[in-house]
Amino acid sequence: MAKAADIPVDPFEPYAAAGARSVRVRARELFEQADGVLDTGDIERVHAMRVTSRRLRAVLEVFAPCFDKAAHSDVLRDVKRLADALGERRDPDVHIAAMTAFAGAVAREQRPGVETFAAHIRERQAAGNVALAAELQRIEQTDLAGRLRALADTAAPPEEGDRPAPIAELPPGDGAA
Amino acid sequence: MKARKVKGLDPAGALAENAARIVRTRLDELCAFMPRAADPREVEALHDMRIAAKRLRYVLEITGPCFGPYAETAVKVAKEVQDVLGEIHDCDVQLPEVAEFMTRLEAADVRALGATVPAGAEDLDPALVAGAPHRGDYAGLAALAVHLQARRDLLFGRFLDLWTDLERKGFRARLEYAVTERSPAADGSAATVATS
Repeated sequence: MAKAADIPVDPFEPYAAAGARSVRVRARELFEQADGVLDTGDIERVHAMRVTSRRLRAVLEVFAPCFDKAAHSDVLRDVKRLADALGERRDPDVHIAAMTAFAGAVAREQRPGVETFAAHIRERQAAGNVALAAELQRIEQTDLAGRLRALADTAAPPEEGDRPAPIAELPPGDGAA
Repeated sequence: MKARKVKGLDPAGALAENAARIVRTRLDELCAFMPRAADPREVEALHDMRIAAKRLRYVLEITGPCFGPYAETAVKVAKEVQDVLGEIHDCDVQLPEVAEFMTRLEAADVRALGATVPAGAEDLDPALVAGAPHRGDYAGLAALAVHLQARRDLLFGRFLDLWTDLERKGFRARLEYAVTERSPAADGSAATVATS
């Protein structure tokens, strides 16, 4: 799982400036982890995205007073919904792994019951994946990434490292007419 | 559990001053769960205390570098409290799930046995139980329930030991002091100072 980027903070800088910077970094990290999260064969992907969603939610809550209230409320609600959907998929992943380990440790006559219970959890995992797929589609359709960028701007303008690359820096042939 | 509102936050004010207010509030929220959470039956208080530990951990992870060195230690402490309470919570969630699942299997077996009774039979032949569809599942589920309960007891003991140790080491007072200290600014323009 990708380590969270360090976000340098200065005790004497404005609270709002630190908030805007933190939201931009943690939002970018969230969307970087979106690839392959629906693959139940690689449970680390959904774990990585869930962790980044928690970090984003944390900065949204810690810096809440710095942002436009209505925009913050909308974005936080959607980040919580995404985090919940990731949890609905992740919790069964962890539970299944624990049941597999437990079944391997108990007496042979005790294994069938544990395996039957694990099969029951797999049904929840599948349902969680369907719900997560719908949530991922929803955040794309409602442009959560764009709304997060706009939200950060309500606290402080982007700093040097946050600005998109100027067109002149794009490689030739990228449509910079 | 809804987080307690932090009063007096000012977006234009210094990060450290605002963060210190948040840390003090979250620390107070966490500590307020004791001694109630020292009762193993207080499932809800233990769960809410885990959330309080998580909130304290996150605010310290984000703003800890503003403060004195104990803030960094406090991140690890909050995570340790959150982790052990999280494992207790997992047991508290799984125990009723296992019990409910076993009840479902029992109900299915009761229906299956009922369907085998010949019309007009006066009693149920005990030998029919040997053919119940889920007869092989009960031993494993009972073992799982026993393991979860024993593990929960063990984890609760670890939580109490951890909290006692934190109190002995003055966790609360040390963190309260750390948030009055200021680390130097990134450009080195300020030295560590204590504020009132």
